[in-house]
Amino acid sequence: MAENKNTGRHYFLRFISMILLILSLVAAETIAESSRLLPVVPGYKLTFPHDYGAHQDFRLEWWYITGWLETEDKKPLGFQVTFFRYATGHNHDNPSRFAAKYLIIAHLALSDPAVGKLMHTEKSAREGFDLAYARPGNTDVKLDDWTLVREEDGRYQVDMRTGDFGLRLSLSPTQMLMLQDQNGFSRKGPKPEQASYYYSEPHLSVTGTVFRQNKPVTVSGRAWLDHEWSTAYLDPEADGWDWVGANLDDGSSLMAFQIRKKNGGKVWAYAALRDVSGDVKFFNPEQVEFTPIRTWQSPHTEALYPVAMHIRTGEIEWQLTPLLDDQELDSRQSTGSVYWEGAVTLTRDNQPAGRGYLELTGYVKPLAL
Amino acid sequence: MLELINVNKAYAEGRKVLTHLTYALKAGDYVAIMGDSGVGKSTLLNLIAGLDTPDSGEIRINSVAISSLDDDAATQLRREQFGFIFQAFHVLPHLTLAQNIALPLLLNGAPTDRVEQMLADVGLRDRGHHFPRQLSGGELQRVAIARALIHRPKLVLADEPTGNLDPDTAREILQLMRTEIKTNGATGILVTHSHAAAATADFVLNLTKDGLHPAKLERSE
Amino acid sequence: MSSASLSRWLLFGEWRAHFVQMIVALIAIAIGVAMAFSIHLINTAAFNEFSAASKSLSGQSDLQVYGRKAFFDESLYPLLANTEGVALANPVLELDVVVPGKLQNRNDHKLKIIGIDMFRAVHISPDLLGLTEEGKTLDRLADDAIFLSPAAMEWLQVKQGDSLSLNVGLQTITLRVAGGLVRARAGQRIAVMDIGVAQWHFQQLGLLSRVELKLKNGVNHAAFKVKLTDELGESYRVTEAIDQEKRIANMSRAYRVNLNMLALVALFTGTFLVFSTQVLSVIRRRQQFALLRVLGFTRQQLLQQIITEGAILGVIGSLLGLGLGYAIAATAIQLLGGDLGTNFFPGVKPSIYFDPMAAVIFFLVGLIVTMLGSIAPALEAARAKPALALRSGSEDVAMAKFSPPWFAVICLSVALLFTQLPPIFELPVFGYLAIALLLIGGIALMPRLAAWAFSGLLTLLQRYRLSTVLTLVLARLANAPNQAAIALGGILASFSLMVAMAIMVTSFRVSIDDWLGHVLPADLYVRAAASGDQGGFQLDTQKTIAELPGFDRVDFFRTQQVSLDVNRPEITLFARPVDRTDARNTLPLTDDRIASGALPENVMPIWVSEAMVDLYGYRVGEKVRLPVGATSSEFLIAGVWRDYGRQFGAVQMQLADYQRLTGDLTVNTVALWLQAGMTADAAIANLRQLPFGAALEISRSSDMRALSLEIFDRSFAVTYLLEMVAVVIGLLGVAASFSAQTLARAKEFGMLRHIGVMRRQIFSMLAAEGGLLTLLGIVLGFVLGWSISLILVFIVNPQSFHWTMQLHLPWGWLTMIAGIMLVSAALTALLAGRQAVSGNVIRAVREDW
Repeated sequence: MAENKNTGRHYFLRFISMILLILSLVAAETIAESSRLLPVVPGYKLTFPHDYGAHQDFRLEWWYITGWLETEDKKPLGFQVTFFRYATGHNHDNPSRFAAKYLIIAHLALSDPAVGKLMHTEKSAREGFDLAYARPGNTDVKLDDWTLVREEDGRYQVDMRTGDFGLRLSLSPTQMLMLQDQNGFSRKGPKPEQASYYYSEPHLSVTGTVFRQNKPVTVSGRAWLDHEWSTAYLDPEADGWDWVGANLDDGSSLMAFQIRKKNGGKVWAYAALRDVSGDVKFFNPEQVEFTPIRTWQSPHTEALYPVAMHIRTGEIEWQLTPLLDDQELDSRQSTGSVYWEGAVTLTRDNQPAGRGYLELTGYVKPLAL
Repeated sequence: MLELINVNKAYAEGRKVLTHLTYALKAGDYVAIMGDSGVGKSTLLNLIAGLDTPDSGEIRINSVAISSLDDDAATQLRREQFGFIFQAFHVLPHLTLAQNIALPLLLNGAPTDRVEQMLADVGLRDRGHHFPRQLSGGELQRVAIARALIHRPKLVLADEPTGNLDPDTAREILQLMRTEIKTNGATGILVTHSHAAAATADFVLNLTKDGLHPAKLERSE
Repeated sequence: MSSASLSRWLLFGEWRAHFVQMIVALIAIAIGVAMAFSIHLINTAAFNEFSAASKSLSGQSDLQVYGRKAFFDESLYPLLANTEGVALANPVLELDVVVPGKLQNRNDHKLKIIGIDMFRAVHISPDLLGLTEEGKTLDRLADDAIFLSPAAMEWLQVKQGDSLSLNVGLQTITLRVAGGLVRARAGQRIAVMDIGVAQWHFQQLGLLSRVELKLKNGVNHAAFKVKLTDELGESYRVTEAIDQEKRIANMSRAYRVNLNMLALVALFTGTFLVFSTQVLSVIRRRQQFALLRVLGFTRQQLLQQIITEGAILGVIGSLLGLGLGYAIAATAIQLLGGDLGTNFFPGVKPSIYFDPMAAVIFFLVGLIVTMLGSIAPALEAARAKPALALRSGSEDVAMAKFSPPWFAVICLSVALLFTQLPPIFELPVFGYLAIALLLIGGIALMPRLAAWAFSGLLTLLQRYRLSTVLTLVLARLANAPNQAAIALGGILASFSLMVAMAIMVTSFRVSIDDWLGHVLPADLYVRAAASGDQGGFQLDTQKTIAELPGFDRVDFFRTQQVSLDVNRPEITLFARPVDRTDARNTLPLTDDRIASGALPENVMPIWVSEAMVDLYGYRVGEKVRLPVGATSSEFLIAGVWRDYGRQFGAVQMQLADYQRLTGDLTVNTVALWLQAGMTADAAIANLRQLPFGAALEISRSSDMRALSLEIFDRSFAVTYLLEMVAVVIGLLGVAASFSAQTLARAKEFGMLRHIGVMRRQIFSMLAAEGGLLTLLGIVLGFVLGWSISLILVFIVNPQSFHWTMQLHLPWGWLTMIAGIMLVSAALTALLAGRQAVSGNVIRAVREDW
């Protein structure tokens, strides 16, 4: 029986790998397929609260929250909460309430140095029956008993629990929204259609409870939220990306990413640094440079991750150090996605500067297909 | 009545038992044949009865060469003209005494009226409805004698008929046999090892490798 | 010399001398064991595979929620998903969809399609996730995709990428074979689609077949089940995997038990043969054993000797039987399928699994029976006084001890008593026991009966001039009945079983034929390719058909499956116009009914099948509630009707009542009566001309009758096969006992040949003995078989299948079989006895070698 289960999982793994593949490498040809879906165009003015909500006319959308927490006894913890909404492109005319038009996928990960490796879990479901949905109008996403809701006052409530761990957090904004790139039109490649709509909410103040082995622990901390939606943005040449979002100790916020080319080099890069007064400094692809300092080879997947990274944004040199090395999200046994999403500390010119999350995708070469 | 003319017989494995046997028996004779074991007494009886055929030579019963008859004709001849008495009686266990005795009559399609008389003659009056298992060995042989003579055969062959019986019973049976054979006007051949038995015959022949030879015996009575 | 080597000499000496008999004994043991073992193997293989296949569909859920009817509203799904304690709710829509082009195969023309939500199913039944083309994983959700098991692909002759047409109601839809179900079981014919897509294409919007639940850790399953059952109310039933297995077991139990019983019958006949062979062999050597006793063998040693002999035969024969049984089972499964052609376990392809435990059991049965056959006469031989045993003619007396008349009388009386007892666990256990006891009693009574019959005949014929041969034969049969009876036992057992089965099958067949005439009164039956629970004909199509010219009468039927008991298979509910003046005009009612005139006005009448009476305790005149419509409604049971189609129960009601209660105006079936002068072909052509004509499933009642009878005959094919085996075993018995007796009677034949019995007369004697014995066996077998058939028809069938039938005797067939038996038994006796005229026989009379 166990054998059956694994094989079943194996099929499922292929499915999720596919989604992941789409997430990371949404190729240009999909645009043609889904003419019902809208392209991302420059000049669109993001309006709120409408754009907090889901955008069903776009293929892919996510709400990504990462952050550092501290328990009452001052132990650091990292957490990552992600909700994806994905338009399948199927069943448009199907009147069934089961018609699989949209999928909701969620990831939850907890980095606890005491455990020494990432705890993570994920779920998927089709939208429907109020069991899973991503509502338009305001952030309101649900997958069975996992929810992410933005309340009227701008506070986010996250409730995600699973068999042996989970969290229930309340995240309050302390700063204004941070629209990325050209007023939220975020380019991902040399071609203009390679883009997404993208805003961030840095410096969310977090309070709440984390559950480990079903034991509640009161926590507080700082988090970063990304909300991004698009129909297609990655260049076919792209291999993966490195991304960092960090809440700096002085109240400023840093976001930087590079999209790597298949045979070295980069397809695109971008960075934005907003100081506490709200002034944003943008960096173009040439001004952003990611340099690995130390690599860590995953014992689970054999993938080699540059877990310690040197990042240059214009004149500024940043150094990223992971909270722990093993923050690989390896769920090949269940959903198949593999990437590294880890809590990191930042130094600027060798001085402690802040804390954030580093995301490294596309490092497992054969994507477990 | 019975003529043996230069009869030769060997066993299947080649050992000769009877060689150049020639002898003639008159009707009404009652002869005893004696001889060592393995000398061919039983074989001789089989040949006379047409149950076996000689390798060469001829056996005639009333001028009919039984040795040249086919199985059916020989059987027919046996049925009509032969009577048999065996050492082990061979009375059918599932037939009554009367039925056992009547067998030859039935086979010949003859009326069975004589059975009661025959039973009385062999000393088993009113026991016709009994089954063989209720009888002693001597009584069984009486039944066999009755069966052998019921159809007034021309020739009665008795093969060691008292071999299974105690001396007193044996004496009674031998006497009965002689009486019945003589009464019915049959020719009798008695094959036996017992001098006492042989003595009840008219004369005795010794079967040896060289043939049949008259033997002198003291009459026991 | 050690006693062991003496024992060995005796053993090998015996076997060398009676090689053929030893072989016959071995064959007898082997056949007996093989039949029982192979049927056991086939049955377990089919059943295990069937339940494994069913289980693979329902996956590893803790609980399943079903509706009372085949489908229920999907709104239950989110309700269940949100119920406290539920970790996962997996909605499933299961449909049997008609495959065009397979219609000629009435029992086998549907494809099981399972609609799943892959995101839920992956946690419960991962085997149902289709394997897509490389990189097109999302195809599982595509609105034209269907995934087929290898067996389904083979059956439909399609491969990945092909298109597949299916009939839905009056339409045809085309789907794309997007991939395979590689984990489906061998032979399992299933298809998987996305649940939303299936709902849409098969017109089942808003409906589910079941919701499978996985409970959170620590939730008490039993308590949860009780609570949920309570909350959901009577429209739903909550089952566990165990219930599911029970249902499957229940579904096929009667069939399996019947087959197993047939296997036991074969084993029984084989057992009898083994027993009689051993008895004969020991009896034949009574004098030899007596001699050994005289020479100084102790009783102990003698017993040991005989038992060792039996044990060696038993071990070799049983091992041979196991091998043979395995081979037979494997071949039968290969050629006929696991249900032996009866279609009882559709869509599975079982493979034989060699169960060592079962093998050991069947081995032991074979061994023990053989040993018993040796021990009984061995005890007698050991106890016998050597002096007495040495005398010839004592064999029959010795044998009489094995069949005391009181034993036979007790068996027969108990059998009679058992026929009066009710079933146990809904199985006619006492009925089968009564059959076994009848057989045993009948066989035990044989010697007496043979003695009476033959001595009677002898007395009767004695006033005529009987031929010597006949006198000898009759005298022997009358006065040595025990030896005769042993030969007869096998014939008796096999012929009586054959008669019983023949009468039962004929009664059944004639009854079914009558019944088909009654339940298929119309000339044509038209069905829409049904999928799920939808009536295929909407009001407008009903009207179109009704308005076609050429029909005298048009009736509409609505049928669906309804579940009344969690542990039982669904019953069938028929809604149709039932004649209000007299329901007998519409239904094959039994006498158990309320006259139509006597029905009160304000009640809704239903007519229930016999199975409903047996299984659910329904009684005419009672009021019951059935889940028809939104809630359940009260009905009056107005009558009981015969139903040979559905052993799990069926209920008929007025179509008008049904439509009033449910508001469901669709129907599944239209029955059409042709006007005089209208041909069926013309009518069918008219129907085909309708816009939806191509999708109609049109059957002539004559074809349906023919087909039903054909299926009937096919399902009894295996019965005939087993009967043939029983007959062969019976003839083997004749051969064994005659060859043994011929040896034992060598001196008798020798004497007879001496005193002038011809060779051919000996042959006629043997043939006459065999023939007369067989004749008696046939007469008695007929009486016994007829009694057994009464048990089968009036006890076993109603108790296991819940239907009654009328008794019909197939005289022609019985006469033919009797003739064949007679001739073959006489020939067998002759062949077995041909040594009786050999030269050895003549020499046997001489004692002075």
